[in-house]
Amino acid sequence: MRTAASPKSRREKKPWSSRSIGSRWQHRFFYSLIRFAGRRAAYALLFLVVLYYVLFRPSARNRSRPYLLRRFPGRNPVARLWDSYRISLEAGKVLVDRAVLGILGPGRFAFDHTGREELLKLAREGRGLILVTAHVGCWQVAMANLGMLRTPINLVIHREEGDVDLLYFEHGRDAAPYRIIDPAGPLGGALEMLHVLKHGEVLCIMGDRAMGSDRSTVAVDFLGGVVQFPFTPYQLASATGAPAAVIFPYKSGAGSYALQVAKVIRVPVNLGRTPGAYRPYADQFVRALEDFVEAHPYQFFNFFDVWR
Amino acid sequence: MTTTEKLKNILVEDLNLEELTPGDIDDDAPLFGEGLGLDSLDAVELVVIVQKHFGIEIRNMDEGRTAFQSIRSLAAYIDERLPVR
Repeated sequence: MRTAASPKSRREKKPWSSRSIGSRWQHRFFYSLIRFAGRRAAYALLFLVVLYYVLFRPSARNRSRPYLLRRFPGRNPVARLWDSYRISLEAGKVLVDRAVLGILGPGRFAFDHTGREELLKLAREGRGLILVTAHVGCWQVAMANLGMLRTPINLVIHREEGDVDLLYFEHGRDAAPYRIIDPAGPLGGALEMLHVLKHGEVLCIMGDRAMGSDRSTVAVDFLGGVVQFPFTPYQLASATGAPAAVIFPYKSGAGSYALQVAKVIRVPVNLGRTPGAYRPYADQFVRALEDFVEAHPYQFFNFFDVWR
Repeated sequence: MTTTEKLKNILVEDLNLEELTPGDIDDDAPLFGEGLGLDSLDAVELVVIVQKHFGIEIRNMDEGRTAFQSIRSLAAYIDERLPVR
């Protein structure tokens, strides 16, 4: 018999955390400002808060450094500081926007459904639909706009203790438009994920962050270095025959978002459990992600060193 | 061959359990975590294996959780759904 300590069953401690940077009262202050003074007032305060963090909190600044060094190699120190400010500001705006979405309603944003027809066509195949996305733009805005698919939406997300950011519907204005599957649940949520796909539903999962063990990742070259990317989305696609659409919801203007369907990945059925079998599909996702960060460098919110 | 024996052979072969032989697997040992040491990725493969080798589709999540407790519970789940021979 294997033991609990065997390599197969061992869980690795993940190197990242979903915990919020700010404290609970700081988040509440922003929520109140949005409620009583609107989005632009929250942005105005955000400019100052981000400036403070970038200038006086090197630990916060360093979080985006590994990504920015690879995306913008050879920058001088002043340009690096500017890059750090830009990416932190964009991340802050996304947090403000999702609170605006929950507090003031989705009507506050224009949403460009580029790729709408393609997603509808994929959903109509009736084999379930896997939406593979990344920590880019504001996925919550995208989720709020996926009702057009007219099929239940399921989101794989793990929230940690200390994550005080509210999901947009938790502000109480709207009912949750999707069901959450926790990858820290029984069997890593695998049965739930299979279940919803077998019922023709939509499953949205992050393609740039492993939530289980290292066994569920494959090494793929990303921005000139090797990174472990999860292959669970492609294993699910192989097990169910569901198509996997790579989507990137991004901020396209001060009050607007767009949903880009970057790629549709078809995975042959019954590829088995060998990680290497899924590398070509993870690679397709990563190439699409590289194209995205080329076009929108300050909307890839990667705040830990994935290359280490 | 009983369903239990067939399952053990299939698991060792399809899940590449290299350190084990079918005879090493205890009927009542947990499939996941301690015991056989399978994890969430294997859960996906198990669903595929049951469909491929026995023609049974596990569509109900709660039933699946119960069936995946051990080899014995999974064999019982399969036997209940196999056509009477």
